[in-house]
Amino acid sequence: MTSLFINDQEVEVTPGTSILEACRQNDFDVPYFCYHPELSVAANCRMCLVEVEGWPKPAASCCTPVSEGMKVKTQTESLKKDRQMVMEYLLIHHPLDCPVCDQGGSCKLQDYALDHGASKGRYAEPKRAVVNYELGPFVNTCMTRCIHCTRCVRFADEVAGTGDIGILNRSDHMSIAGIVEEALESELSGNLPDICPVGALLDKPSHDVSRPWEMSHHKSTCTQCPNGCDIHIESRGDEVMRIRPIAGSPEPWICDRGRYVYDAFRSDARILEPAVRRDGELQSVGWDEAFDRVVSLLKDKRVGILFSPDWSVEGHTAIRMMRDTLFPDAKVAFDLHRRDMRPFAFEEGLSMTTAQIEAADQVVVLGSDLRQRLPLLMQRLRKRGHAGKPVSRIGAMNYRTNMEISNDAIIRPRDWPAVIARAMEQVRDLGKTAAGFDAWLAAVPARHEAGKILADALMAESCALLVGEEIRSDNDAAALISGLDLLMRACGHAETGSDGRNLIPEGMSAQILSSVFADVRVSAGDLFAAAGAGELDAIVVVGSDPLGDGLFPTAATAALDKVPLIQIGSIAGRIGERAEVQLPAAAYSETEGTFVNMEGRVRVATNPIRSLGQERPLWKVMMRLVQVMGGEVPVVSLDELRAAIVARVPELAGAWSATEQDKLLLAPRRNRTSSFTPSKQKHAFDLDVVSRYSMYREGMWVRASKLLSEAAMLHCLDDLLVHPDTLAEAGLQPGEMVVRSFLGETACHVGVREDVSPGVLFVSRRGVAGALSDLDVASLAGGQS
Amino acid sequence: MIPSDPKQVKQICFDRIDIPDVNTLAVARKHGAYAFLPTVLKEFTAAKIVDEMKLSGLRGRGGAGFPTGLKWSFVPRNTGKPTYLLCNADEGEPGTFKDRDIMRFDPHLLIEGMIMAGFALNVRDAYIYVRGEFLHEANVMNEAIREAYAANLLGENILGSGYSMHLTVHRGAGAYICGEETALIESLEGKPGRPRFKPPFPAVEGFYRCPTVVNNVETLATVPAILEHGGAWHAAIGVPNNTGCKIFSVSGHVNKPGNYEVPMGTSLKTLIEEYCGGLQHGSVPKVVIPGGSSTPWLTAEHYEAPLTYDGMIKAGSMLGSGAIIVMDETADLIAVTRRLAHFYAHESCGQCTPCREGTGWLERIMIRVENGQACAEDIQVLSDAATHMAGRTICALADGAAAPILSMLKHFPDEVRARALGKAA
Repeated sequence: MTSLFINDQEVEVTPGTSILEACRQNDFDVPYFCYHPELSVAANCRMCLVEVEGWPKPAASCCTPVSEGMKVKTQTESLKKDRQMVMEYLLIHHPLDCPVCDQGGSCKLQDYALDHGASKGRYAEPKRAVVNYELGPFVNTCMTRCIHCTRCVRFADEVAGTGDIGILNRSDHMSIAGIVEEALESELSGNLPDICPVGALLDKPSHDVSRPWEMSHHKSTCTQCPNGCDIHIESRGDEVMRIRPIAGSPEPWICDRGRYVYDAFRSDARILEPAVRRDGELQSVGWDEAFDRVVSLLKDKRVGILFSPDWSVEGHTAIRMMRDTLFPDAKVAFDLHRRDMRPFAFEEGLSMTTAQIEAADQVVVLGSDLRQRLPLLMQRLRKRGHAGKPVSRIGAMNYRTNMEISNDAIIRPRDWPAVIARAMEQVRDLGKTAAGFDAWLAAVPARHEAGKILADALMAESCALLVGEEIRSDNDAAALISGLDLLMRACGHAETGSDGRNLIPEGMSAQILSSVFADVRVSAGDLFAAAGAGELDAIVVVGSDPLGDGLFPTAATAALDKVPLIQIGSIAGRIGERAEVQLPAAAYSETEGTFVNMEGRVRVATNPIRSLGQERPLWKVMMRLVQVMGGEVPVVSLDELRAAIVARVPELAGAWSATEQDKLLLAPRRNRTSSFTPSKQKHAFDLDVVSRYSMYREGMWVRASKLLSEAAMLHCLDDLLVHPDTLAEAGLQPGEMVVRSFLGETACHVGVREDVSPGVLFVSRRGVAGALSDLDVASLAGGQS
Repeated sequence: MIPSDPKQVKQICFDRIDIPDVNTLAVARKHGAYAFLPTVLKEFTAAKIVDEMKLSGLRGRGGAGFPTGLKWSFVPRNTGKPTYLLCNADEGEPGTFKDRDIMRFDPHLLIEGMIMAGFALNVRDAYIYVRGEFLHEANVMNEAIREAYAANLLGENILGSGYSMHLTVHRGAGAYICGEETALIESLEGKPGRPRFKPPFPAVEGFYRCPTVVNNVETLATVPAILEHGGAWHAAIGVPNNTGCKIFSVSGHVNKPGNYEVPMGTSLKTLIEEYCGGLQHGSVPKVVIPGGSSTPWLTAEHYEAPLTYDGMIKAGSMLGSGAIIVMDETADLIAVTRRLAHFYAHESCGQCTPCREGTGWLERIMIRVENGQACAEDIQVLSDAATHMAGRTICALADGAAAPILSMLKHFPDEVRARALGKAA
């Protein structure tokens, strides 16, 4: 530790800390504009000057490291004058439009002008006006207000990885601008208004709508992806105005999906009242009437239950209780992307924290569009890349990452066994092996060179494997994961403390779900197949949209043609059109609840915003359902429910104590005995189908959001993509053609892109492409444009 | 030939400058170029060279006057990264035109100095960053480098010594700020020339974040003489702590403006009267800017001050790059200041708040002062804005921009006031 004196008070900080950080850590107020703890240091605003004893000039504290015994003064007459002058310099060209500027009230420039500025400016010459530029659907620019701190430039370079904001010109003609007059490509663009210290970059969707001081803040957890970021939902009255990250939480940023989904909270797609279908139309009714219909549809019936992982742990447990009380034989599904339900050697969830992944010697991403799936984990990998650490990747598509991937291979999903086998042979040759290698290798005839990338990375001291949706949704996923498990064990990456086996889950609370529902879980596909085959009488869907999301829209349609649908949830989605009864359940902004993210981190939302309509917390809806169906109500209060949760998941005992909560880290489930070898491959069609998860299109909340739907239009690709060689081999030209699959023939438009692996049919607009989402293999024919 | 008796040394860098065609390798070699190089490469160790440089007392000729040997000794060894040697030939300081003469008349002197410096620092790749406007100088340098490569003075295994060094000329694009060493590095990396904050210093993290030494042309051109005659020899020239000779670029109201290399310690008066043919009008100058436009002004009071780093500091200014701008009583100092303010406002890189906003502001006020359209408060603003700019920014451009304003206000307050308020005669 280095000890130094700040304003005559001795403090200790880690060697190499900047003076500014030392001041921040010890609550000495030093003003600054350009410094940001998550970005590189620019040292250009010159607001953070301090005096160091024995130095001839004041030092910029942000870029000056501390040294032993240094004597720092943060408040002197001379510094006061310096700060006053910096404020005067900054304000000479800054417009005096605070009354109409959204930043007003939470503006560093405004605050510092009051704290450090003079009462009047002396600038008497013409002021500068600066041309605005286009920065995408979420960011409003007013560049005349810019103070050139370059935080946005550094954000685009270092965090977003897009590098498309830069500095033009010099002297007082200097301006910040988009390098190309196009939308900022980043999925993190919504953070720009947050880091802009002034009103130059403002949130476009909430522009000219509200004032910072009108907002009340509700701490919550974003459930739009398994990363489960801490968020502040800001509302004016009952109306959600915006969502922002919480300073000091594990991730300083949030993605555009989690941020701009807020307009879905008050969209037309919300289910705010109970409704029943009469003469083909959904009509609002009272709770009693709706429940009467539910009873008539469910009483003594064979029922299938599908729900979304994004509910709180309380909601999930209530669903389980409802099932056990009313339908003890019911099949339950909660995952729209898993075809293989055999237990995985390592189940969904991360064994490492994202910080540990960032720090690992090697990271290998297997079959995941991480930037769309987990934008904040992608951002951490980017940070890793900046620090010179490698990131390797194997997958069906050269997904955009905005970083330099060190080792990259594109493969067909049917090559996964050959990739893993190749890696097994390589590590075995280097003396690392595990019982089970021989059987696994014997089951796989082929070898694929991409396995070298995997094997090379496994030789490192620590290696984080990020197993993504391409493997998780495979028909033979349990065997692939078993193979990866063997590899990790052979190379010593499976021990407690250095477990690198991370399976990216579909949604929140995967650790809880895979244990609470382990015994009754089926694939959503199986559920729909059972309904289609007449084995079920009704389907209850709780907050999930199998028609719009996932891999089973065709199967779901067929099932709903046969059996009635009872929908419970916050958003109607596509499936709402098929519902016989709709019951409103509170959204994640409106409920007290417990959430577990992919790392196993526990968060409890405690001050929800008020409900907009008649929606009730999911657990209450479930208990009421039990009651009206004549069952014995298992719990009647949140406390009782939480006691019931702890009975099932003892690790959660400390979840509701503020001091214990942060210490909890739920490990994902392991199935040591689950060992499977790949089955013999026989494919009816020559192309593997991989469908893309788009953060702007996947999920019923997102589709209910106008803002994100608009962004989706900017980020869309052709419906179907193949590698040019795939078409050339088949003697086809891009354009209209026929996709043949087990569903028959479908006419589609197919585009080409070199990023897709040869032999893969890439469904880039899942949902929009409708039936094709169900496919895992297909072939192309005919069609000339 | 440079005399081996230090007492007799009159010039070092300009020793061969008057010899016709000395820019060609054949003529340069006939007059001693590269003669001592094989000895250095074969018999000297890196440590010995650095020691000789330290002993010589040579201080950087680019402006800051930092001891060259000390600078070289800061370069970490065995970092696993390459070390780079960059020659700063971005001679942009208003009033300075000395490096240009070394490059266009005696390019082999610079090349030889760079090989020796490169050898001492274990450099494989060295660059000369030439000011964009110096097209002719860049051409001469390139031709000399071509000849040197052909003669195995550059490239692989120089003269069979086992040491290899490559030398490349890079032309800047005319930005004054690229003469600041970290801006030069940024520019050479292909980025806009904006100075970096320090630490880390270039010696540790410079060009491509590798250890880097940036030296001025004149500094590097002095190296061959020091190594040939020894550090002690060089230390005996000039005055203690200000050793060797220095080229002064004299411009302004003198009868014979030009470059003059003289031993350190020569007085300003001697230089102007004995070398430059005296002043055009009057017997003492009204203002002398001793080290390029960024240094504070001197007046008649310091006419006899010695031209040394220490002497100039004592007189309240700096030796800088040795660009002496002489103004006699006919000079319109307010117009000069306004013009300099325009220069700095134009050349500010725009990074730091005080410089970006301050330089433009100062220029706009100076325009009104010059035209007699200012008010009393403006003079206070000039003083405040300049004072709180200097020393508060990443690089020293703001200090340079403040110097003329503050000097003008210090030495000629009444004249400024009268002119500003429109009351001048």
